[in-house]
Amino acid sequence: MTKTYPKASRPSLDNVSVSIEKGEFVFFIGPSGSGKSTIIKMLLHEVSPNKGRVVVNGKDVTTMRSWKRPHFRRSIGCVFQDFRLLPNRTAYENVAFALEVIGKTKAVARRVVPEVLELVGLGGKEHRYPHELSGGEQQRVAVARAFVNRPLILLADEPTGNLDPDTSIEIMRLLDRINRTGTTVVMVTHDSNIVNQMRRRVIEIESGRIVRDQARGVYG
Amino acid sequence: MRMKYVLSEVLVGLWRNVTMTIAMIITMAVSLFMLGGAGLLYQKVGDMKDLYYENVEVSIFLKTDVSPQQRDDLNAKLKSDPLVKEVTYVNKDEAYKRFQEMYQDAPDLVNAVKADQLPESFRLKLVNPEQYKNIYDQYKGTEGVDEIVDQSRLLDKVFGVLTGIQTFALVIAVFMAAAALLLVANTIQVAAYSKRREVAVMKLVGASNWFIQAPFVLEAVVAGLIGSILALTFMAVGKYAASGGSLAALEGLITPISWSDIFLMFPIMAGVGALFSAVTGWITLRFYLRV
Repeated sequence: MTKTYPKASRPSLDNVSVSIEKGEFVFFIGPSGSGKSTIIKMLLHEVSPNKGRVVVNGKDVTTMRSWKRPHFRRSIGCVFQDFRLLPNRTAYENVAFALEVIGKTKAVARRVVPEVLELVGLGGKEHRYPHELSGGEQQRVAVARAFVNRPLILLADEPTGNLDPDTSIEIMRLLDRINRTGTTVVMVTHDSNIVNQMRRRVIEIESGRIVRDQARGVYG
Repeated sequence: MRMKYVLSEVLVGLWRNVTMTIAMIITMAVSLFMLGGAGLLYQKVGDMKDLYYENVEVSIFLKTDVSPQQRDDLNAKLKSDPLVKEVTYVNKDEAYKRFQEMYQDAPDLVNAVKADQLPESFRLKLVNPEQYKNIYDQYKGTEGVDEIVDQSRLLDKVFGVLTGIQTFALVIAVFMAAAALLLVANTIQVAAYSKRREVAVMKLVGASNWFIQAPFVLEAVVAGLIGSILALTFMAVGKYAASGGSLAALEGLITPISWSDIFLMFPIMAGVGALFSAVTGWITLRFYLRV
């Protein structure tokens, strides 16, 4: 597929073709502006390619009508560099919010949220506000929120970008554990250390083209 | 639970920016009051037209020195005229009686006028009141005729004034509505900005569009409804003041406005207020939230 943003001199993604299997753990690496984030946006149906198709979970996202997007997104969890937590809500409420706004009852939240917070290692800190948590803990809340709905795919856009190396490794362990439950994890990163440690599939993008696609790869 | 969430968001939203909310409600109330007033006036003018034009007459006043022969000729001519539905002859005594009734509040005037000073006349009802001009042309030159007066000309003037007031009220309603809708758009932008994090998360986790938009749109709708209730209150106060106060004099001219007239206006005002607010809110969100 090809994506050219208006006013851009060259395509952000140029004739890129990738297939990711269910349950895989994939790193997208490459310099800033290489088009990594565009891939995430396409998987989220935030942008559409000018040419080609994006198929997620058997559904053609390219032709998907925008009113179907909300329901489609419920099968995808998202984690970002800047956590994107709601500052005036506790860890528990942040996760519960994600459930309640898609129509789950409070009873469901009471059952599921403590469980997932336990899973990400935040047991006992449910009622802390984001500013009372460390960066790593905040990212754990974000992961919990992304995972609470048991998505098929977890997209992580530089999830360790704001964290120190030790904390980053912990977050990666968490993502790895989530991957082992059968969830496909797609992660965009600059962090060579992490990529080298994890030894998972690595897809390197440069100037909108795939220059390397390697199972059990390193940062290069 | 979701309904409770939406409603509490609406209340929080209205309270967060309470000065703007008040401004929005007041402009909306004035606009709806003007709209409602124009609507009532429109209704009343319709009623009055039916009532007055039904009874409207063309009067042909005769010269004081008219001869019985001339009078009988005219009477016969009028009776056979296809444009005329009904002819009544009013002699001097009757004219004086009518005059006394009309000016019973001014006894000096009544005393100053003698019965034989008032002209005899024919009162005509026309098949079609619009055809006054033909009657005028036909009988103007007839011997013994002094003057032809069409009451509908007078009514036209009265109705002209009423229509003018109505147009004026509508113009004000439109301008106030424009101001109110801009305030709605602004309020919603502020609300969307202060809730941008929540909205971003909701979009991310796949909350449905209606669920994201509903609190904002309902905020505008609630403001519109409160505005219409306020407008209804203005009207009630207006009626109360009119029936007791200085405007009581108008009561004789305009058919009285009943409470049911006013309350029947309320669904229209509330509907217009709520609908326009909702549409404005929704359009604002399309631009501002891009959901």
